[in-house]
Amino acid sequence: MKISITKPGILTTIQDNGRKNYQAQAVPRSGVLDDLSARIANIAIGNDDNSATLEFTYAAAEFKAEADSLIAYAGDGAFLISEGKKLPPERPIFVPSGSTIKLTNNPEGAITYLAIAGGFDVPEILGSKSTYLTGHFGGYKGRNLQSGDFLSSRKDLTMRSQHILHSLKGNQISWPSWYVNRSRLLPADRKTIRIFPAGEFNWFDSESIINFLSKEFSVGLNSNRMGYQLYGNKISRRKNEELLSTAVCPGTIQVTGNGDVILLMADCQTTGGYPRIGQVAAVDLPLCAQLKPNDSIRFTEISRDTAEILYIEREKQLSDLKLAVASRF
Amino acid sequence: MIINPSKRILFYIFKPGNPNLTALSNSIPNPEFKIHALSEQAVTLSFGNEISESIATKISNFNKLLNNQPFQGFITTVPAYSTLTVYYDLLTVLYSELRGASSFEKVSNYLNNLKNAAENAFSSAINRIILPVYYGGDFGPDIDNVSNFTKLGVQEIIALHSTAVYKVYMIGFVPGFAYLGGMDEQLATPRKSTPRLVVPAGAVGIAGKQTGIYPLETPGGWQIIGQTPSKLFDAGRLQPSLLKAGDEVKFESISLDEFYKLAGKP
Repeated sequence: MKISITKPGILTTIQDNGRKNYQAQAVPRSGVLDDLSARIANIAIGNDDNSATLEFTYAAAEFKAEADSLIAYAGDGAFLISEGKKLPPERPIFVPSGSTIKLTNNPEGAITYLAIAGGFDVPEILGSKSTYLTGHFGGYKGRNLQSGDFLSSRKDLTMRSQHILHSLKGNQISWPSWYVNRSRLLPADRKTIRIFPAGEFNWFDSESIINFLSKEFSVGLNSNRMGYQLYGNKISRRKNEELLSTAVCPGTIQVTGNGDVILLMADCQTTGGYPRIGQVAAVDLPLCAQLKPNDSIRFTEISRDTAEILYIEREKQLSDLKLAVASRF
Repeated sequence: MIINPSKRILFYIFKPGNPNLTALSNSIPNPEFKIHALSEQAVTLSFGNEISESIATKISNFNKLLNNQPFQGFITTVPAYSTLTVYYDLLTVLYSELRGASSFEKVSNYLNNLKNAAENAFSSAINRIILPVYYGGDFGPDIDNVSNFTKLGVQEIIALHSTAVYKVYMIGFVPGFAYLGGMDEQLATPRKSTPRLVVPAGAVGIAGKQTGIYPLETPGGWQIIGQTPSKLFDAGRLQPSLLKAGDEVKFESISLDEFYKLAGKP
């Protein structure tokens, strides 16, 4: 299976679930911003959850099947269309060689994942296929995709992928009636982000903490894969100690010297020196990934233990979804 | 073409449940460090709140001990000035036999007990890395700024910078960037008022009381006094970062010929 990029869009990179083992050497994790959507797309075609996917930012991109391919997409940044027909998300789609597929705007969010049976075949660098743009390594030649790039999938398909492919293969685009329902795994309110208190939570004054947990914040224009600038009530400190640089990770919410809020995302630095007010629950990072500049969000507090239980529940739901897909074949 | 997508939802069974919610915690507070959760899958141990060689040594020793005796689900550690952060896989920890009601308690118990059992049981050899540097000229365009600010001659700057032994406290900021301690305070010079858009990999700079080496080509505001031909970061190496927390570093002044020879250029 093979595709070529005919329009690269704003930012299109190859991402898997990131590199975790080199953070002591300041190598960021990178990896998919919205791990839930990427995993759903992979699950829908029988891939391992961690298979390398294409991460599209907004719409504007276009690609062509250079060979018969089994694909799936998920996320809120775009819909896929071919010959004027919308292709449904969150399910396997067989696309015969020669099909051209465009992304069109989905106003819901920002990021969309394209999975291909077997996963995109790029070399593993430091234990991951994820693109790290600043370091110029990982993914496809360490860069974002451009027109004319060819991307092949790995040949070793799982049994599930082989069965799905067999059931759909033909000379036209086709998909089954079932789909892997991602919205069932998301909260109804996608603009309220659950956080638990971080290391320096008590460094901030009570009014600031109340504001932080009740008032709206809007996503700044200069937001990217490293992090988002959030605008809202300034946060002031009651303790003016210096924080010595220490480890941070995606989901960490820092407060800068002038009281602004930064939410760290997948490509964030491994260490930081700004005091941290909160940590986004891992299950809500996919919601953050789909935010666009000027979107408004609120934070609400839960305990670390609750965040852990939500994580366990999410993992259980995903493994049940995998079983459900397998049970159809 | 069959286009008949019914709104059918895949069936799944949902059982909320943490198998260990009933287990009791027995965390023994540890005199050496305090533990807090960084995320659901990471804890940070705080050994104090200052930059000191003794804290750095404690962190380095405990880091080695933990990497030699990891718990089930351990992923990696990130040492910093006064903290050591431990990343783990939540589900593996939860289903392991460690004691505690949550992954946080299980990992905390393990780390506390590991430390308690290992009092003074560890001493370790320190790595010293020599970094050749060509000071001044085109490779050190800001050495005159440093000279003007510090009232030191260029040769004095080179001598002071290359005789000190520096300690790597942590790697952070960008891949392979070492936070070094031990620069002679006479060399302290503020950052440039306007950062450069491109600083080449290998540039050696001064910012306030700190000195450091740019491992990648990035924008930066440090006063650049020289350049090393050594590769501070290479994703193709087994250990991509040349330096790691706990190492010692010494700079060695080299000639332009030596620089080109080491850099592999004409």
